[in-house]
Amino acid sequence: MRFIRLTIIFSILITVLASYGHGDGSVVDGNHTIVRLGLEQDMPLAFINKNGNPSGIMAAAIFFAILLTFITTTLVLRVTVRRRTVELEQEIEVHKQTAKSLEKSEKELRNILVVNEDLKKSLSGILDTLPSIIARIDRDGRVDLVNRRFEQFSGVSAAAARGMLLESLIPHFTPQLQQVSEVIDRRTPVSCERIQQRSGKELSFFSLQIYPLNEEESGMAVIRIDDITEHVRIEEMIYRTEKMTMIGGLAAGMAHEINNPLGAIMQHSQNIERRVSPSISANVKAAEEVGVSLNLVRAYMEKREIFQFISHIRTAGERASTIISNMLHYSRRSESRTETARLSDVLNRVLELAATDYDMKKSYDFRRIELVRDFAADMPPVNMTVLEMEQVFLIILKNSAQAMTGAGHGRTPCITLRTRTDNGMAAIDIEDNGPGMDEATRLRIFEPFFSTREVGEGSGLGLSVAYAIVTKGHHGTIEAWSQQGDGCRFTIRIPMYGRA
Amino acid sequence: MNESDISVLLVDDDEIILECIGAYLEDEGFTMHYSDSGEAALKSIAAINPVVCITDMRLSGMNGEAFICKAHAICPNTGYLLHTGMAYSPSNELLSIGMTAADVFQKPMHEFSTLTDRIKAIARAGRMCNGT
Repeated sequence: MRFIRLTIIFSILITVLASYGHGDGSVVDGNHTIVRLGLEQDMPLAFINKNGNPSGIMAAAIFFAILLTFITTTLVLRVTVRRRTVELEQEIEVHKQTAKSLEKSEKELRNILVVNEDLKKSLSGILDTLPSIIARIDRDGRVDLVNRRFEQFSGVSAAAARGMLLESLIPHFTPQLQQVSEVIDRRTPVSCERIQQRSGKELSFFSLQIYPLNEEESGMAVIRIDDITEHVRIEEMIYRTEKMTMIGGLAAGMAHEINNPLGAIMQHSQNIERRVSPSISANVKAAEEVGVSLNLVRAYMEKREIFQFISHIRTAGERASTIISNMLHYSRRSESRTETARLSDVLNRVLELAATDYDMKKSYDFRRIELVRDFAADMPPVNMTVLEMEQVFLIILKNSAQAMTGAGHGRTPCITLRTRTDNGMAAIDIEDNGPGMDEATRLRIFEPFFSTREVGEGSGLGLSVAYAIVTKGHHGTIEAWSQQGDGCRFTIRIPMYGRA
Repeated sequence: MNESDISVLLVDDDEIILECIGAYLEDEGFTMHYSDSGEAALKSIAAINPVVCITDMRLSGMNGEAFICKAHAICPNTGYLLHTGMAYSPSNELLSIGMTAADVFQKPMHEFSTLTDRIKAIARAGRMCNGT
């Protein structure tokens, strides 16, 4: 580069010098000029004419100098351009590489973004799929993120919920949510089980967990709420079933043990009556031996109502014995075989059982209910699993009795039991004049775990069991008719001659 | 046949039951024998050779069913009756020695007359069998 510059300067200089002598009248002494320029030593004066102007040789020299300069410059330029081209090519190559790697990085970045997006999607998908109600909140209890279940539960959209106080969105859980800041500070989760919530008649159970978010100093917590109503009901049912099995066993054992003393009471009262009877010769003989008249003894006993007492002892014993044999009969669940039985007998026994049911007495004295038996006289015996059908009738009767509890509708509580033949089927109506039920309740009564009573008071299984026995066990139908405030009627139909 | 000719062996580990069923059957005129266990009854049954033997199902030692099977081997002509508090239908062993559901009596017995009727029926059948 420096060489090019020098060449250019040199050629300019020569050109200037060459043109000096051609002035426009202001002729300057050429030698003087050269001398003035201090070049007299370097430039042979022969090149200058006597006027001091450059001679022809001088002009040629100048031309050659220019030519030389041009050639040199061209050569130098070519070399420079070639070098520069190589440099540029290298640069382009570097750029290309850079662009390539940039493209690669971009692709990778895009991939990462896609993966990230996918991850985000699947994470929120997982969160939304979970049946749990989930929310992320800060120390102050302000919502930052919720899942779909939360939106459904609170009725507030995720966008609207953001920034709001969690307590204001799910106020039922305010007492439990007081522990949020403590959970964040201590970094230990907290769990609350069986939180009761009442909505209308239905009682629900929830569990609530507060977890500190597992990030350093995030100051956030995750709330998880689950509806555990069904679990609680199943648990209750298991406890109940176990309890019932145990009670059944105890009752059977107890009934058996009671039978002996009860038998002794009844049989001995019978023996007493017989031992004062003149028709047994041993009695007459014994009376004579002690010197009393058997007839006088009898007269005295009659006067003092002793015979009546004895007869009452027997009656009371018989009543106790009936209760026990019914109970034994009912607790013998394993014996479920089909037999032919009269519906009227079965219903009468169930009514007796219902009258002695302790659970029922506790909530409603069955004897205060007026019972109307409207049994078809010409009803043939029906093929059925007696124990199971007894259970069905008992469940319905219990439901009716409980429905009429505390329903002060001014009428005498009354249950009508009707048997009839209906298109070759045996039909049984159980009708009460209780409060009835609304349509929403009626549609759900045969569902398992549906109960209008409190958890623990009823398993919510009763009518679903009845439904299974009638439809699956007997190939029959069971229907409920009701109008709010105007009683309820259950109609059961089973094939007269066994499973159709 | 006089009632006193009908001997009855009553097996029950409950003294009161022995007494009250016994008193009734004595009043009916039957000749009564008592035993408070199956084991004891097996020792005495050969000497008594009763027309009818009534046993409780739930005895303190061997149960009524086992007792009847063993006793039948000793006295095959005796009619056996089972008295029980449980719902019970005769087992195959008992059916094979000729017992029927009519020979099983539920506790507590409300009416003794069914028991005496059965005893008399067995006695009649036995007499016809023996040709006496």
